[in-house]
Amino acid sequence: MPKKKQVETKIWDVVPGYDFIEEIDLAAIPSWFLDGTHSVPPLTPLFAYQWARFCSHGFKAACYKLGIPTCKGWEIRIFNGGIYCGLHIVRDQEEIARREVKFRQALRPWLEDFDKHWDTYKKELLGIYDKLKQLDVDRATNLELYHHNYDLMEAYMRMWEIHFIGMYTSFNTWLLLEALTKERFGLSDQEAEFQDMMRGFDNKIYQMDKKLWEFGQLAVEMKLANIFKDNKPPAILPKLKESEKGKEWLKQFMDYMTTDDIGGWRMQHFTDFNEPYWLEDPATPIGLVKDNIMRGNSYDLEATRAGIAKKRRAAIAAFLKRVPPEEKELFKGLIALAGKSSSYSEEHDLYCELSVHALMRRGYMAMGKRLARSGTIDNPEDILMLNPDEIDRVIMVPEAHDMRWITRRRRAGWEKAHKTTNPPMLTRRANLEEAIELDLLPSRDAIAIKIVVGEIPRPKPKMKADLWGICGCPGAAEGTARVVTKYDELKKVQPGEILVCPSTNPTWTPVFGLVNGVITDTGGTLCHAAIIGREYGVPTIVNAQKATGKIKTGQRVKIDATNGAVYILDK
Amino acid sequence: MSPEKLIFRFEELGREHKQLVGKKCANLGEMLRMGLLVPPGFATSIGMYRRFAKETGAAAEIAQYVKQMGKLKGKNIAVFDEMSRKIRGIIESQEMPPALVKTIASHYHELEKKGEAPDGAVSVRSSGTESRPGMFETYLNVVGIEDVLDKIKKVWSSAYTARAIALRVNKDIPVTGDELGVAVSRMINARSAGISFTLDPVTSDTSRIVINSSWGLGEGVVSGDEDVDHFAVDKKTLKIIESSTGKKAKKVVNKKRGVEWDNVPTKKQSAPSLTNDEVSAIAKLALFLEERMGRAQDIEWAIDAYAIPPDNIVLLQTRPAKLTVKKPESVTDRMIDLIVQKFYRP
Repeated sequence: MPKKKQVETKIWDVVPGYDFIEEIDLAAIPSWFLDGTHSVPPLTPLFAYQWARFCSHGFKAACYKLGIPTCKGWEIRIFNGGIYCGLHIVRDQEEIARREVKFRQALRPWLEDFDKHWDTYKKELLGIYDKLKQLDVDRATNLELYHHNYDLMEAYMRMWEIHFIGMYTSFNTWLLLEALTKERFGLSDQEAEFQDMMRGFDNKIYQMDKKLWEFGQLAVEMKLANIFKDNKPPAILPKLKESEKGKEWLKQFMDYMTTDDIGGWRMQHFTDFNEPYWLEDPATPIGLVKDNIMRGNSYDLEATRAGIAKKRRAAIAAFLKRVPPEEKELFKGLIALAGKSSSYSEEHDLYCELSVHALMRRGYMAMGKRLARSGTIDNPEDILMLNPDEIDRVIMVPEAHDMRWITRRRRAGWEKAHKTTNPPMLTRRANLEEAIELDLLPSRDAIAIKIVVGEIPRPKPKMKADLWGICGCPGAAEGTARVVTKYDELKKVQPGEILVCPSTNPTWTPVFGLVNGVITDTGGTLCHAAIIGREYGVPTIVNAQKATGKIKTGQRVKIDATNGAVYILDK
Repeated sequence: MSPEKLIFRFEELGREHKQLVGKKCANLGEMLRMGLLVPPGFATSIGMYRRFAKETGAAAEIAQYVKQMGKLKGKNIAVFDEMSRKIRGIIESQEMPPALVKTIASHYHELEKKGEAPDGAVSVRSSGTESRPGMFETYLNVVGIEDVLDKIKKVWSSAYTARAIALRVNKDIPVTGDELGVAVSRMINARSAGISFTLDPVTSDTSRIVINSSWGLGEGVVSGDEDVDHFAVDKKTLKIIESSTGKKAKKVVNKKRGVEWDNVPTKKQSAPSLTNDEVSAIAKLALFLEERMGRAQDIEWAIDAYAIPPDNIVLLQTRPAKLTVKKPESVTDRMIDLIVQKFYRP
């Protein structure tokens, strides 16, 4: 054999099987789009592995089950801690027509009774989680932990299938309503008149927010307000334990955290395993109760929410007056269903990602403790630097293995990734526009267009704004900018500020009760920030591209969310 | 009725004669029996076409040609166009056998002599045993026996328009499966004309009669190409519940021979082409026909410019009403259709 110069290849990987390999992956799918909503800051290798494997499976499974005519799902690769999505677009006309037949059948039951199907899935998921919770992970044998690794992955796989079936079925009605209102009434979903029809729905997120608000009221009634006011969140819990009344309040609070079907089983940080869930660290929910108490009587969640719901009913009635009689039933039905997609978009996180990630954090941290105790890894957190196959290999006899050569290297890489910014796409096309045109839009994928990648902002030159995004929630606001790129920094947000961030997720919800306005780098009209903004009545601009880079904390900013315009007042 | 008889005055016919002379002629006879006003005229039987085709050799020639064409299903429209040219040529190039000329001429001249068609102007219309709206030809304001004979042959040959051939091929009906009777009747000089439905053809609302009308011979109403006047009449009260006038820029009128499109004078364009009394009278006739025929009807009528009201409404045809669209779908069906059309059809 002729001697060939040995090509230098990596002998170890970060996320084996899902690391982006340019020459292979670009040949298979021409463009890969950064999912900034879910991967800023960079993901730990264990989380990235699980996400790349099972989130992409969920996409493919839902597209198959529903027969989505133009898309067979997404492939996911990890590059520098970032999630990159490549779409399997169906381009053959006959295949599209065949898939359409299945799609029509599969979509029908969801349009007829969305709640029924979503409730069935919710119950299934809660059943799966209950079984996982039965294992006392800290006392489990190594063999039980070995099995738990697989049980977690199976739960994760099923969660993603359900997640995307619900999402595809609900988003199609939002898109249809938007298309029809745009076509017939010149009304897009970025406008106030449209968005006002989609706000003020009750769902689990608000029920939980309300519960925390009520615990604040209870603390005031029990004359415990000062404990909350005078102490930082981590110190509140020990202080409460010092008095009978405090113990009583805490008992009621922890009862709720453990017995509610979600309760404390939710992550602080939406997309990773590296921060505690509420039950693990009750200081977080207690901190939210503190925030409610600090806002005093002027803040009335109930009244705010009722006002938005009332406004919604009025907006729908006003809109329906413009609709000709023969179309009334259609629009009424569509508005109701589109409202569900807004609601689902928000609520599903609790039953899907936030719950299962909390259980995965619990399970993997227990495995991490086991490995750290045997010296297999340096400390329990380093479990997040491994992947499930590596854990499988060492968890039965941890003392016989040393995985630090992997965990140390990956941790260094992960920390380094925090200092760099990932490109918005990896493509072999000429530019961003071409990549979107050829490799994204033909998928007609509602999730890509409305959440992950978002629509491209259209500047209105006459308005001379400094930055442009798209309207997530209409309105105008002015305040001091607070740039937040990590959940940790969310604590620094002061009342009346304008929050500037890469994106938000449900764990960020409470801060919307505090700020005057929100600007995000990424997202579309159905992303979390847009939906929460609308629900809390906070003017919100999404997909403002480089907002976190251009705006500095402390600068005075003005936003005209209705027009998507951002003004930096003291440059 | 002797089987050799090949031509009939409308008075001799009734709904039981559909196989003999086709549906249009049979129904004209039926309407006469009911005492309704239809244009005087006669029908040539389907048997007459068969005799013509047999005696001239056209039938054999067509059969031979069709056989040689082989399997037709799935062929494109150019093939049917070519077949149409060929077969219509075969029929129209034959001389009418003298015995047929004689019997047609005697019926035609009788119309003239009796003053039923004093100037000899007639319409020559197709009458098949199956309802095939728009498939076959109609010739208006035909004058003189030579022209009548020519147009009868042309109606026969219109069983082979490309669209009619295509329809039969697609429905697995033999290519030679449509043979036509012909209705020859006085040409009405219509001031206005149109159609009435004894149900709403779009919403299938059976509580109302829907009338569309325009100036002139009404061909624009039948084809659906022109803006027309629209009226709806409640069946119970016979009150006009809807009335809107379209902008009727053109109308079809008689010329010396044949017909032509003519401009409507500006001030008449938006004026209603029917008086309220005429609308009511047409509605009553429609309701009467629905009751007597036992099902919803689709009726063609004309207002005879030379006749004196109320005897100026002439019925040209009645047939069972067909709905133009299916029943309205459920909201879910519409949503699915719209989602698919808007997002997933490239």
